Amino acid sequence: MSEAMRAGKLAPAPSPIADDGDAVRFCSTCAFGAVCQEYGVDKIALNELHCLVEHVGPFRQGEHLFRTNDPFGAIYAVRAGMVKTYIDDELGREQVLGFYLPGEMVGLNAIYPARYPCNAVALDTVYLCRFSFPAMVTLATRLPGVQQQLFRLLSKDIGTASLLGGDFSADERLAAFMVDLADRYSARGFSATRLRLTMPRGDIANYLRLAAETVSRVLRRFRDQGLIAVEGREVELTNPVELRHLARCVLHR
Amino acid sequence: MIAVQHLPRSAATAARFDAELIARYDGNGPRYTSYPTAPHFRSDFREADYMALARASNEDPIPRRLSLYVHVPFCFSPCFYCGCTRIITRERAKGEAYMQRLYREIELTAPLFDRDRRVVQLHLGGGTPNFLDAGQMGELIESLAQHFSLSTEPSREFGIELDPRYADADYVRALGELGFNRLSVGIQDFDPAVQEAVNRHQSEAQTAAAIEAARAAGFRSVSVDLIYGLPNQTLAGFASTLRSVIALRPDRIAAYSYAHLPELFKAQRQLDASLLPDAATKLALLGETVEMLDAAGYRYIGMDHFALPGDELVRAQDNGTLQRNFQGYSTHGDCDIIGLGMSAISRVGDSYSQNAKDLVGYYAAVDHGHLPTVRGLRLSDDDLIRRDAINRLMCHGAIDLRDFEAQHRIDFAVYFAGSLDRLHELAEDGLVQLTPERILVTPRGRFLLRTVAMAFDAWLSAPREGAVRYSRTI
Repeated sequence: MSEAMRAGKLAPAPSPIADDGDAVRFCSTCAFGAVCQEYGVDKIALNELHCLVEHVGPFRQGEHLFRTNDPFGAIYAVRAGMVKTYIDDELGREQVLGFYLPGEMVGLNAIYPARYPCNAVALDTVYLCRFSFPAMVTLATRLPGVQQQLFRLLSKDIGTASLLGGDFSADERLAAFMVDLADRYSARGFSATRLRLTMPRGDIANYLRLAAETVSRVLRRFRDQGLIAVEGREVELTNPVELRHLARCVLHR
Repeated sequence: MIAVQHLPRSAATAARFDAELIARYDGNGPRYTSYPTAPHFRSDFREADYMALARASNEDPIPRRLSLYVHVPFCFSPCFYCGCTRIITRERAKGEAYMQRLYREIELTAPLFDRDRRVVQLHLGGGTPNFLDAGQMGELIESLAQHFSLSTEPSREFGIELDPRYADADYVRALGELGFNRLSVGIQDFDPAVQEAVNRHQSEAQTAAAIEAARAAGFRSVSVDLIYGLPNQTLAGFASTLRSVIALRPDRIAAYSYAHLPELFKAQRQLDASLLPDAATKLALLGETVEMLDAAGYRYIGMDHFALPGDELVRAQDNGTLQRNFQGYSTHGDCDIIGLGMSAISRVGDSYSQNAKDLVGYYAAVDHGHLPTVRGLRLSDDDLIRRDAINRLMCHGAIDLRDFEAQHRIDFAVYFAGSLDRLHELAEDGLVQLTPERILVTPRGRFLLRTVAMAFDAWLSAPREGAVRYSRTI
């Protein structure tokens, strides 16, 4: 019955799936596409520079991109889906480091000492671009813009990691978490008010250093106050102004 | 994001009984307490599937609250109309052996669900839940309270089905003290000739005493079950039963159509089929029920269910939150349902699953430390879309097409082309009204909700495991 049932299904809702490139064009979310194009370098030209941009995936939910201490050879750009990075601490407890959306780079923190310092796992079906790092370095010597872009990405990666270090309330943390996600999606052309929280609630709690039940309690209150609407894992920011106000101390924006 | 549909009050209140139309559409069909229906559950869905889905259900940003269903399969005496999974015995020891397994199942199941997920609904069904004495009932509640987080809010709904022949006022009071606040009383018919034919002798006084005791004990709501189409039933006799029931003023009344399927339900083979009313009488019994309950101020909710205007079911229907579930209609449709006990059905995440349907299988699994899941189904995207369509028709008698399309991202006319062809036939007979904006079940069509819903059922002609028999649609 499958074919007949598919009839009448519309394209999926505007969701975090990048507009994929091809042999010549970059993906719309590519971190380096715009920079390369400024220099008139398309993907064919990149190949000629021996800088292969390789599409990899799909990774299924729970599959690892890399694990802690794997030798570092490449950085990855997410094209579709969501990636979680985490470490297992000395007591074997998982500590979530971050979540990566389409257009974002995973693995930047492995450049030194040339081993991945964390695990990276697919939270749903994930497609990636794999950039060989040695080739990137070579490219950067030819295209100064690529080097600048790398520095920008590195410094942003460091900034994000320290966002939640302060002494913030659960309300502030959760508001910041959602506003930050919404901003990151909207910067890549997706909806600024509708998010899919693909990550399990346990991961959100771990990342924000809160108990899982606190996450739900605060979200329920936000919902009752009209700040958000929730249906399954879909969240709509119904009062982004108020949420942004709550988040301002965490985000400085 | 959450669809709310308002049914015009006129349509909701003025269900119009059309005997000729109903007779024409009399046929077999599912009752859609689930979609897909239980006969389509698969035997390759096992314990591990249930456990994985239960754990995943904890991971929504705001996980669903919980609803528990506990099945007590024993009855003291056989009623000949019964189509339930039950065991006739007077040995209390059998009950005790069962309870030990039930406690074990609770211990195995509860840790799968995070403790911050409140149990806001509990329902004890059977069989005869009051086969358990007050002491056993107390132990059951204690076990549930120890392993789950039972809500303490007044809005929690703790219901129990009661056979008033085996429950005195003290017992009902004890139930109230344990936290039960909804009582569902089996009546069927007070006519002695009918009671004789179905082997269920139950006086009006016994029944009234149980209901009075429940009200005195602070129960918030009382519902009663009637059955039409039983042997020896007459219009005069059933009218008398209805008058007595109306005088008891239960908040809800369910009037079920008797489904005579002796090949399927062994108990029914003891019933003298020559005493069953003919189709015309059965239809007249339904007409009489509708007329008398309507005159007494009851609102027709849909299918077999009527409720007083102040009842939560009526309010849920008015504000668009009514849902279909295994007990018929529910105001707590947003819960994950955990079924406990022999043959109990769970609805966790986007799945259904069922426990072993016999004591041997149920005991064997639990005694070995396993969940007794024997079959189930993960719903596909298509199942979810169709379930929503059927739910909207069953609960609100309408589908707002634009809202439905937006929610499920489909082109309704294309996706449901086959269903719409069928609906056009039904529209010609005046069961539904089709406009570019909505599908509306007409006042006459409201007694044929099953027939309308069947137009959306993709599984009716699908292959399944074993034979499927559905009862007649009226």
